[in-house]
Amino acid sequence: MAVKKFKTMVNPEKIKGDTRYGDLYKPHGKVRKRREWRGVQDTLYDYWRWLGIMMTLGKFVMVPRNVKAMFRYRWMANYLAVPMMVDRFTQGLRGEYLRMAHEEQDLIIIDVAKLLNTLFRGDRRIGNDEEFSKINVLVDENEMTAVMMGFPNLKCTSRETPSTYVSVLLNQHAAEHYIDVAQEFGLAGDVCPMPEAEAGVSIDDDAPILGACAVQCNTTCDGSLLGNGVISERLEKEDGIPVFQLPAPLRHKQDDVQDYAAEEIRRAIKFIEEHTGHKWDWDYYFECARRVNIATRCRNEWLDMNKTDYPQIFGGNLALYTETNYMAICGKVPDFEKCDKKLMKLAEQAYKKRRMAAPEYRHRAIVWGVQSHFYMDFLVWLLNCWGIVPLTDMLSCINTEMIAETDTPENREQAYYDMAMLTEEMIMRNRTHGGYKVLLNDLFRFVEEYNADMIILWEHITCKALDGMHGMFEDRARELGIPLIWVDHQLFDPRVVSRQGVRDQVNQYMRTVMQEEPLDPTLEFLDDENSW
Amino acid sequence: MKKKALKALLYLLLTVSGLFVVTFTVYFFNLDMKLTSMIEPFLLKHYDRIPRNQHL
Amino acid sequence: MKDLKHLIYFEDLLQEANNDLIRQAQEEGKKCIGYMCENVPEPLLNLPGCFSARLRAPRTGSIDVGTYYLTSFLCEYSRAMLERALEGGFNFLDAMITPDGCSMLNRCVENMELLKAMGADKEGFFFDYMEIPMKADYNGLDLYVVQCKNHILKPLAENYGIDISDAAIRQAVAEHNHVCELLRAIGDFRKLDNPTITGYEYNVLCLASYAAPKYLIIDKLEETLEELKTREPDPKPWFKARVLVVGSEVDDTDFIKLVEDSGAFVCADRFCYGSLPGRDPIELNDEEDALTQICRQYMYRGECPRYMNTQKMDARREYVDKLAKEYKADGIIYQQMKFCDPWAYEKMMGSHILRARYGHPVLSVDRPYAIGSSGQMRTRVQAFMESIDIKKIQKEGE
Repeated sequence: MAVKKFKTMVNPEKIKGDTRYGDLYKPHGKVRKRREWRGVQDTLYDYWRWLGIMMTLGKFVMVPRNVKAMFRYRWMANYLAVPMMVDRFTQGLRGEYLRMAHEEQDLIIIDVAKLLNTLFRGDRRIGNDEEFSKINVLVDENEMTAVMMGFPNLKCTSRETPSTYVSVLLNQHAAEHYIDVAQEFGLAGDVCPMPEAEAGVSIDDDAPILGACAVQCNTTCDGSLLGNGVISERLEKEDGIPVFQLPAPLRHKQDDVQDYAAEEIRRAIKFIEEHTGHKWDWDYYFECARRVNIATRCRNEWLDMNKTDYPQIFGGNLALYTETNYMAICGKVPDFEKCDKKLMKLAEQAYKKRRMAAPEYRHRAIVWGVQSHFYMDFLVWLLNCWGIVPLTDMLSCINTEMIAETDTPENREQAYYDMAMLTEEMIMRNRTHGGYKVLLNDLFRFVEEYNADMIILWEHITCKALDGMHGMFEDRARELGIPLIWVDHQLFDPRVVSRQGVRDQVNQYMRTVMQEEPLDPTLEFLDDENSW
Repeated sequence: MKKKALKALLYLLLTVSGLFVVTFTVYFFNLDMKLTSMIEPFLLKHYDRIPRNQHL
Repeated sequence: MKDLKHLIYFEDLLQEANNDLIRQAQEEGKKCIGYMCENVPEPLLNLPGCFSARLRAPRTGSIDVGTYYLTSFLCEYSRAMLERALEGGFNFLDAMITPDGCSMLNRCVENMELLKAMGADKEGFFFDYMEIPMKADYNGLDLYVVQCKNHILKPLAENYGIDISDAAIRQAVAEHNHVCELLRAIGDFRKLDNPTITGYEYNVLCLASYAAPKYLIIDKLEETLEELKTREPDPKPWFKARVLVVGSEVDDTDFIKLVEDSGAFVCADRFCYGSLPGRDPIELNDEEDALTQICRQYMYRGECPRYMNTQKMDARREYVDKLAKEYKADGIIYQQMKFCDPWAYEKMMGSHILRARYGHPVLSVDRPYAIGSSGQMRTRVQAFMESIDIKKIQKEGE
């Protein structure tokens, strides 16, 4: 395999409006001085979408129980920062790219608002709607929700998604309190802060209590598996909510684990049926399966597009949407099908016009590893600051295969294996587990397929499965002569590596090894330590 | 009648324009976020005061 | 107490991974199968024609190369193992079988494979990886059996012509059980009020049974058992308190020595490489095939925190409570190797629950792989001894 040197591509179209994005930051500030000027048309569009977000938030606070929840749960304070999250992810975006970002993000915001409404309506402390609570099945934050694809009248509800996962996207400091709580109770500081924070929420008595039952899964790592034990201790023994532990095999590429995985899916479904009184509905399952396939087809096409000189849905637009649509939605919400189609249309339109998202494309990078949640908009920064195009990221390199979508007796049996496959190949775990081939070999395969000339290796320092290939990544990249930039971070905890600490690692490499100057020097050093 | 309708239209236009100017000012100068960032410290203090049943 | 006759012999066996008995067994034509996790059923690696060696890195010094490949965030055990493999310290192995028990051990062995750290000059050498159930139930058992067939028995038969018949497995279990029974009988002396064996001595014997071919240590174990029957203890117990050590992998006898030098008597060992439940005999009946029975017993008795079902989680704490009572422990030391994710959680949960729900005094500590004579650990254990003492005095006062 030979790595081709990439020739800088200059955008023939001038980027309208602001181009010195760093100037918008207020030193030591929590928020920015003002929003970005994107030229008249795009600014008005962004303004219009901002109004829409304000409407969503307005509707949310009109419900008294949501206000009550705001004063009960610490993590709810992070939702004050919703519009800013959108601003961060849309930095520098114009035209189709801006529209794609809004199509995705605004839908995700609506979906999270619905989830919060659900949580607080059923929560024993807030809405206490007992009947409603009974149609909720709790799932983990990072869990593939395939086992819920056949229950049209049940709600698949994750408490951890709004309390920790989304919170950290909104406010980089969101999880710190919960991490500290877990550590005060004796948890070591060297475990992954994601399950650590989730355990902290449970210990801190800050999780809504609702649901007929819960399905926990050994999602991504040893930490998440064990963190579930902390949560179930309270959930099951104190709150009286029965828990089913759904183990997904780790060596998911092996044929001889699939029967086990499928049987666990059958048992999880049976458990849900028993505790909710709802029956599995095959019609609904295959309807969801059809939508899963649409999402897969779209994602495959976007990724194919990213292999060309004119990538369209990449960076934050690809990563955040994929995470939501693939696992939390998993075919269950028709609005995401509509969004897939809209995104496809925008991407094709931009591709035909050979649009570029930045003034220059200097490097094509594969972003590998587990992205830092407190700095997910780093991908936009890479593009704006250094002209590095993040073609795809590890978490977006997920299932590419179609699942059975027509209702036949054979397909009903196949469906258990499909659900098992989706569950085994959850985001992150499909790479961090399954042997070195899916983590190490596939990275270099993607480098070749995508004509990448650079690897950005997000090293989540306490992700043991990823760290365990550290030296091999380094050796292999050296053998192939491909620049590999290590970007260390601590996923949910910016106190360990700050956002500037993350940026510095790239800045230093680009200046000293690549001997390049930034595209936008105002972004090189940002005083955003106190920022949301 | 026509005059009334024109007047109503004018009022409507003025209201919409006024709303636009206000909301756009809030939007562009990030006043929404500046306001919520001032609220956050009070909320955090409030959370610290809530008695919690902290345990495993 | 007078020294045990064979203690130095057993201590010597622990000085090198490739010890004298491993060399002797290989000279006899047997194949040495390396493993690193208690979830690999040991008797299956001890079929006629092969024997198991649970890997250790005694006298670990620098682990810089291991740290380069695995980073400083992986546990020192995995780093020390990789380092030792790269130094050539495991070149004696004829195969390496590992379960995907925890990410760290799995990555450690994968690095050994990728870096071709061993097996270069051994025809038939293989690495194999197993999936291990995460819940103890019928489905987990089916998986365990299939995995043992495909990733232990099949490659052993194909690569080395090992007899993997039911009869061969039963023969291996019989030998395994003999060693287990000897060790349990020896271990029972720890239950005495004034025990005739120290925790350190027992740890050496037990560890040797993992690190050396079993059939070659049986005679010495038998002699030791006889010796213990008549061994005179010191007139008064030499320790301040009896402690049960629980937690992650311990293959460093210095750790137990350090705890005992600090005034404690390690009366029971519930850790990986310990005897509880690692040296429980495997009971076989004639109605069912031996493989399934072995897997069932390994699965249900397994104390690995990766078992995630509620029953298993509760059972782990119940088991520790039961052992504490059976071995009359005054306190429990919950230890975890630093950077071990599974035991980080289990230690937090276990120590809180055993303290709050079961009323045991618990010391919760993390430690490096090779502890040497850590002053910090000594201070913590001594402070724990004092706190137990104070509690005893307070109790007597009541």
